Amino acid sequence: MTAILDDFKAEVSRLAGAEFLTCIQCGTCSASCPTARLMDPSIRGLIKLCLEGKREQAIDNDTLWLCTSCLLCTVRCPRAIRPKAVVSALKDIAEREGIKIRDATYERLFLKQIEDFGRIAELSLTGEFLLAYPQGMVQSMQMGLELLSKGKIGLEADRIQGRNEVKRIIEELR
Amino acid sequence: MKLAYYPGCVSRSTGKEMDASTRAVCAALSIELDELEDWNCCGATHVSNEPVATGLSARNMAMTGLPIMTACSICYSNLRSAVERLKDPETLDKVNSVLDKKYSGATIRHALEVILEAMEEKDERIVLPLRGLKVAPYYGCLLTRPRGVDSPEWPTMIDKLIIRLSAEPVDFRLKTLCCGGPIFMPRQEAAEDIAFKILSEAKRAGAEVIVTVCPLCHIMLDAKQKALEQKRGQAIGIPVLYVTQLAGIALGLGPEELGLFMNSVSPMAVVERAYQRME
Repeated sequence: MTAILDDFKAEVSRLAGAEFLTCIQCGTCSASCPTARLMDPSIRGLIKLCLEGKREQAIDNDTLWLCTSCLLCTVRCPRAIRPKAVVSALKDIAEREGIKIRDATYERLFLKQIEDFGRIAELSLTGEFLLAYPQGMVQSMQMGLELLSKGKIGLEADRIQGRNEVKRIIEELR
Repeated sequence: MKLAYYPGCVSRSTGKEMDASTRAVCAALSIELDELEDWNCCGATHVSNEPVATGLSARNMAMTGLPIMTACSICYSNLRSAVERLKDPETLDKVNSVLDKKYSGATIRHALEVILEAMEEKDERIVLPLRGLKVAPYYGCLLTRPRGVDSPEWPTMIDKLIIRLSAEPVDFRLKTLCCGGPIFMPRQEAAEDIAFKILSEAKRAGAEVIVTVCPLCHIMLDAKQKALEQKRGQAIGIPVLYVTQLAGIALGLGPEELGLFMNSVSPMAVVERAYQRME
């Protein structure tokens, strides 16, 4: 099946499965999505862009970053497409291209932490993100103080033994 | 019963009470937990590359031959998704080619399932039946998705546990609405809108307490509750407990062991009421 696809569709297929090619545009995914009202294009529209091979529009939009990964679209799709997986594939392509958007920065920092430590240290992740995008500072500080007062902020990052193996997983499977 | 335990990254920070209450409740129910050695992050909802996410979970799962239990719905969903993907021989070969210990299959359990199974009806270890306590069962999304355990549309597992503890589940319409947590860092407003909707609905339904099975849901509903009340000018004041904390209270475990002092909205008044009702 992949042999007759253009590079973009082939890449989405590799990452999210070829099922999206069978989309009938019924809109069940959009109707199920908790953040649908904020999205333009909708999830349905996003899959249409993929089917039409409109790569740039498909990877450069806010819709990708409004997905909460709740998987309701995926359990409901009558064609067994995994719309959330399509969103993830497009995010991954966008991230690899170094797209500049605050959400992509957050994901890049998140993966970097796994690569460096093997686990997430929420304090340094949040700190690094706020350095890059200080707009959320006030609210994050409020939250940080709340969590700190309850002793729920780990000040030090755990470092696992198998960091090389984790690095290999990230580098070689991507 | 002996299980491998995957605590997940939040067990070391924002979900410390989830971890503490999970360990305490399992000990009380004679479930032996063997923490996975050198476990890594599952990628949560932030590793978009599916093959990488699968590899991260596979490394954790290859460390043991025991069924693996986690109390975090995100870890749970990721591990279960990886098990599904690794049934494909091509994916399995590729993933195993980069792993030190090879993956050869795994059974994944959520702490909720394990506890529910371990507690019999009218279990004599329930020394403090939570009679009359109105509880909103909040499932969130990832406990039941992908498909496999309970209904992804209208699940009942938490309701069953609430009933087993002699408490009353309230009719909670938004029990499977996503809390918005995964996009909370970069998209605060959008995430807060959803979280506030869930809190308001729990209040309308008459809940005295909300129970969660996910540390991200817990942050959104508990740690953020005060800030949300201020922002929206509406009082909520509902404590949010992990299912393991609620079960622990009924098992007569102490607040320290269950991490009850780590909750932002204090559940202590609810606990006291439960003791008073028993007298």
